[in-house]
Amino acid sequence: MDMRSDILNLMKNRGDLYRFLSKVYIKEMDPAFLDSMKAMSFPNISLESDLEEGFKELKEYLDNMSKDAVDDLAADYAKTFLSAGISNGSAAFPYESVYTSKDRLVMQEAWADVREIYASYGLSKGNVNSDVLEDHIALELEFMALLCKKSAEDIDEIKLLRSQSDFLDNHLLNWVPDFCKDVEEYAETKFYKAIAKITKGFLKLDRQILDKVIDIVIEKNGSRCYSLSTDRMDQILKQLKKNYRVYAPKRFEKRGPKGDSDLVRYAEIDSVKDIVLDVQSDFSPKEIYYPISQTMIYFENSHSSESILKEEKDIIIFARPCDINGIESLDKIFLENGGYADIYYKRLRDKVKFFMIECKEGFEDCFCVSMGSNKTDNYSVAVRLGEDNILVEVKDVEFFSLFRDEKSADFTPMFVESNKKVVKLPKIESDEDLKKAYGLEFWKNYDEKCIGCGGCCTVCGTCSCFDTVDVIYSDTSTDGERKRVWSSCMLDTFTLTAGGKRFRETNGENMRFRTLHKVYDFKKRFGTDRHMCVGCGRCDMRCPQDISFSDTINTFSEEMEL
Amino acid sequence: MKNVMIPKPHEITHVIKHTKAEYTFRVACDDETKHGQFYMLSIPKIGEAPISVSGKGDGYLEFTIRKVGRLTEGVFGLDVGDTIFMRGPYGNSFPVEDFENKHLVVITGGTGMAPVKTMLDYFSENQDKIKSLHLISGFRDLDCVLFTDEIDKYKCDFNVICSLDNMEAPGFHKGLVTEHIKKIHFDTFDEYSVVVVGPPLMMHFTTKELLANGVDESRIWVSIERKMHCAVGKCGHCKINDTYVCLEGPIFNYTDAKDLID
Repeated sequence: MDMRSDILNLMKNRGDLYRFLSKVYIKEMDPAFLDSMKAMSFPNISLESDLEEGFKELKEYLDNMSKDAVDDLAADYAKTFLSAGISNGSAAFPYESVYTSKDRLVMQEAWADVREIYASYGLSKGNVNSDVLEDHIALELEFMALLCKKSAEDIDEIKLLRSQSDFLDNHLLNWVPDFCKDVEEYAETKFYKAIAKITKGFLKLDRQILDKVIDIVIEKNGSRCYSLSTDRMDQILKQLKKNYRVYAPKRFEKRGPKGDSDLVRYAEIDSVKDIVLDVQSDFSPKEIYYPISQTMIYFENSHSSESILKEEKDIIIFARPCDINGIESLDKIFLENGGYADIYYKRLRDKVKFFMIECKEGFEDCFCVSMGSNKTDNYSVAVRLGEDNILVEVKDVEFFSLFRDEKSADFTPMFVESNKKVVKLPKIESDEDLKKAYGLEFWKNYDEKCIGCGGCCTVCGTCSCFDTVDVIYSDTSTDGERKRVWSSCMLDTFTLTAGGKRFRETNGENMRFRTLHKVYDFKKRFGTDRHMCVGCGRCDMRCPQDISFSDTINTFSEEMEL
Repeated sequence: MKNVMIPKPHEITHVIKHTKAEYTFRVACDDETKHGQFYMLSIPKIGEAPISVSGKGDGYLEFTIRKVGRLTEGVFGLDVGDTIFMRGPYGNSFPVEDFENKHLVVITGGTGMAPVKTMLDYFSENQDKIKSLHLISGFRDLDCVLFTDEIDKYKCDFNVICSLDNMEAPGFHKGLVTEHIKKIHFDTFDEYSVVVVGPPLMMHFTTKELLANGVDESRIWVSIERKMHCAVGKCGHCKINDTYVCLEGPIFNYTDAKDLID
């Protein structure tokens, strides 16, 4: 069976059960209905314990029914639901309003609410049964059966499915579980006790089924786009922050590397208004999933143990396409290279989900288009952050429910189509080309110009190199920890061995190494279509010597063609 | 998921002091290793460094360490009964099966003997597996000579030329290893391989001299040393071109090694 007929079947079965229960609650059992029930085969399912037990007990009752059953059930119905006879006023009144209003009265808020809902579907109780109020359990169940029927006619209509889960959340599940508990307490017959169990169990299960079906249908129909206000987005952000740490580029006033300037780096935000959009962030988001300094191992009494990750929450990062693409480089190194997956990287990386900040213009130093990293579809949610209004595209099932009440909108995220800076990549197609690249005099220009500070690697979203450093707690013992800290191939110590041999001896050689890694080696090694540079331009922003990496690549490429 | 960065403590059972600056540490360890592989050795608070296995036997491994840096200095403070942290073995190994039933020439400079020593021991014990073995080992002076007992044994098994760079002494030739290469009659070998391990300059001039003596590039194997902080392809320190020495090395055929430009 295909998914479509699976869903159709499911809708029909749900509708049937809702209608059956409605019929049981609306009035006393009549002999014909009771007889037909005996012929019914009840599903033997173990999806929900109350439901399973209820079916079992109902079957037992029907199998062992006395000839006075109709009368017994009529008496029990009157006693349980109508508080007739010797019930001392204790009954399970089958009206939502009774269960949800302060003074247990009929025709209160819930009643008015369901009337309105029925009306929005062109229904009035006249359509069903005029003897009871609209918030009677039988009518609410019948309404669900009707929605199931409508859903079966149009299974792609998410709104219909959502109105069912909403009706369950806002009405049936709000009171029926308590009502069923009362039925089990006040009913004398096994019949109504079993029906109560079935009702309670089925509603609970059906709510879960609806979530699944909604996810499947949404998945089938692609992503969902919405328009919402900044305030509304902040409310959603507040919701998200219960389970996630939410990071975005954030401004830190007068904390910049150059005197009085501001620093923009990734940090947790409280409002989408915190997200800095007017400039490229000084740092990439990598410090979130690959911290600057990270304890790997504890040493204690001559034993070693793995550091514990204290972070329990998952991570959401608002990032531009370049940075989302940048994480692929770190993934290659930390998760794939050499066939070893790095546990410290993986345990944080697995938590990360991206909310893509739509980036249409780029900034002064960007060259993402040249690097082919201006676009991505690797995000859970895409956002266009306007002054007062936000457009979102939700792709990740996990976030569907958060946005589902928002106003639908047309939104296709756009990407940078051209940068002011255009970079031409070097042509290296043979061993001879590579030898030529290594031998270029041009690299010597950087011997003096570059001061080997490593700042370019620090701000880079794809640079992954690190040193390990041991820290001890006291001079008298070896108890302590082994950390890893970011390193840079531009530092003069990067290739320096304990014996004092430095394998790359000049800043120019380091520049040659870094450039080739970024635009040749990485791609060659991993056979990907992406280089280890996403053209974010941060290294140019950072360099105290005003060395531009895009200019370096361009000059390198020109030199290769001479 | 296995955490490859966690080292395990191992007990030091013997310390062999070759020179003031070069000791061999024997540690209790049951690992299977191949010839030419290395371990990351560490002492908490001092740090980690890649060290070749220089000897192995039933339930132990040996590491020959030259006192050059903070870690190795720290290791020199250790004694029998102390603990050293280890993880490994890492890296590829000498293609010993390729070497078997051929002539083999091994040229070492100083502690460069350590990475080839388990292979020399293997052929010393299995002489029927090699047509001939020629060892040229150079040391700076008499105070720097390592593995004297082993070399004496090798002298019974193979053609051994031990040379001191700067001085004359009984039982030693004088001069750099490069000066002795012409004593090997490569033209009389039908099939052979050459292994060169030592300091970068020694390897540079030795391979140059080998090529000048008509040795084909593809017959030469080298083991190279680079700075490493992880040994599993993550830290980036040992990367040359698109090659990670810790993963694809430390042993390279010269046809590949000659193109490795740091």
